[in-house]
Amino acid sequence: MSSTPTLAQLSAEKVREEIIHTFEAGQHAYVHLSLFGIDISITKAVVFLWIGAAVTFLIMFIGSRLLKNRPGAYQVLVEEIYGFGRNSLAGQMGEEGKKFFPYTLTLFIFLLVLNLIGLIPNSYPVTASITFTLTLALLTFIITQYVGIRANGLGGYVKAFVPPGLPLKIIFVPFMFVIEWISELSKPLTLAMRLYANILAGHLLIFIFLSFILYFGTFMAAISVPMALVLYGFEIFVAVLQAYIFAILTQVYIEIALYRTEH
Amino acid sequence: MLDPTGIFDLIKTSLLFWEIITFAILLFLIIRYVYPPIRDQIQKRQAEIEGAIDEAQKTREEARELLAEYRRQIEEARGEGRRILEDARKQADAQRERTKKEAREEGDRIVQRAREEIGRERESAIREVRSEVAGMVIQASEQVLGRTVDHDEHERLVSQALDDLEAEVAGSSAGGRGTA
Repeated sequence: MSSTPTLAQLSAEKVREEIIHTFEAGQHAYVHLSLFGIDISITKAVVFLWIGAAVTFLIMFIGSRLLKNRPGAYQVLVEEIYGFGRNSLAGQMGEEGKKFFPYTLTLFIFLLVLNLIGLIPNSYPVTASITFTLTLALLTFIITQYVGIRANGLGGYVKAFVPPGLPLKIIFVPFMFVIEWISELSKPLTLAMRLYANILAGHLLIFIFLSFILYFGTFMAAISVPMALVLYGFEIFVAVLQAYIFAILTQVYIEIALYRTEH
Repeated sequence: MLDPTGIFDLIKTSLLFWEIITFAILLFLIIRYVYPPIRDQIQKRQAEIEGAIDEAQKTREEARELLAEYRRQIEEARGEGRRILEDARKQADAQRERTKKEAREEGDRIVQRAREEIGRERESAIREVRSEVAGMVIQASEQVLGRTVDHDEHERLVSQALDDLEAEVAGSSAGGRGTA
């Protein structure tokens, strides 16, 4: 054995396990529950989902109970978040869209908190789970279709998927209709994949860089640790950015559906 | 569970189930209890700021009016002062003119009076000198002749001689001073 103390060099299989450990741990069920044969166990992922929701609620709730006429720093922060939702997220296409900002703003804060909590070591990045992001994206999709139909009427909304003034109507109208619906259906998919993949990739990259130490030996720390730190910093940026993208795209999709027949 | 590693966890029912419930509760709580007070607070402050701005504008308007009023008053006062000064100067000028005129008239009067006085004095002096001279001449003549002479006749002669002399003097200094 070598006299210099080094971490045990692991096999590729072991390293792989180390890398995906965080995500496997998320599946660990603390309480096994099932509802009509459907597994609704409380896993680590669910716990961190709750923590995220609780933190989101507390940040905003405490802020909303400390309101004074001369705002302190905390109140300014909460009011800025509110103002950001009202004035920056909402109203992309018209005043009518501002009605939906409570939903998108809540979504934004919730995703931001979950993204940031996921960066804490030994936590679980809930947003790096395709189930989670796809559910939210489908929720967005459902709201979008509902709003679109309610605002434009079912016939008007469906008809508006075909742009006016097409040549060779017999061929192009069904063609464009299908194309537009593919595009519409791909919206929730891309929305879900974008958030999921960004957060997952960020975490995996950090773990992979750190796992080099396990695979190649201690000297790799000189490269791996700075790289992991840089990526970690970048991940904070990505956490904010992806939460923002998810929220603003949700808002934009809803507003597009809202004004479907107007363009 | 399609993927035992949990990375591609399509579809985890437990997470899905709890996510929908959690998110619905979170949405409800936040929309119900968090946004309304913040919105009210922001609106309240906005209203207050607008009120303050309106108030400030009104105050400024009032101040401007007040300033204009004061300026006008000052202008008026200044005009008044100028007018008073003008009047006073005019009065003083008039007074001075009057005083000057009076003084000049007074002086003229005094000079006139003095001249008249002088004239009178001279007349009387001449008369006195004449009678003196006539007396002296008569006396001298009496002494020379050794007898009394007709006084009246004498005096007439002397008087005529003096008149001639006077006329001669006046003729030699013609254009000089006039006789009083």
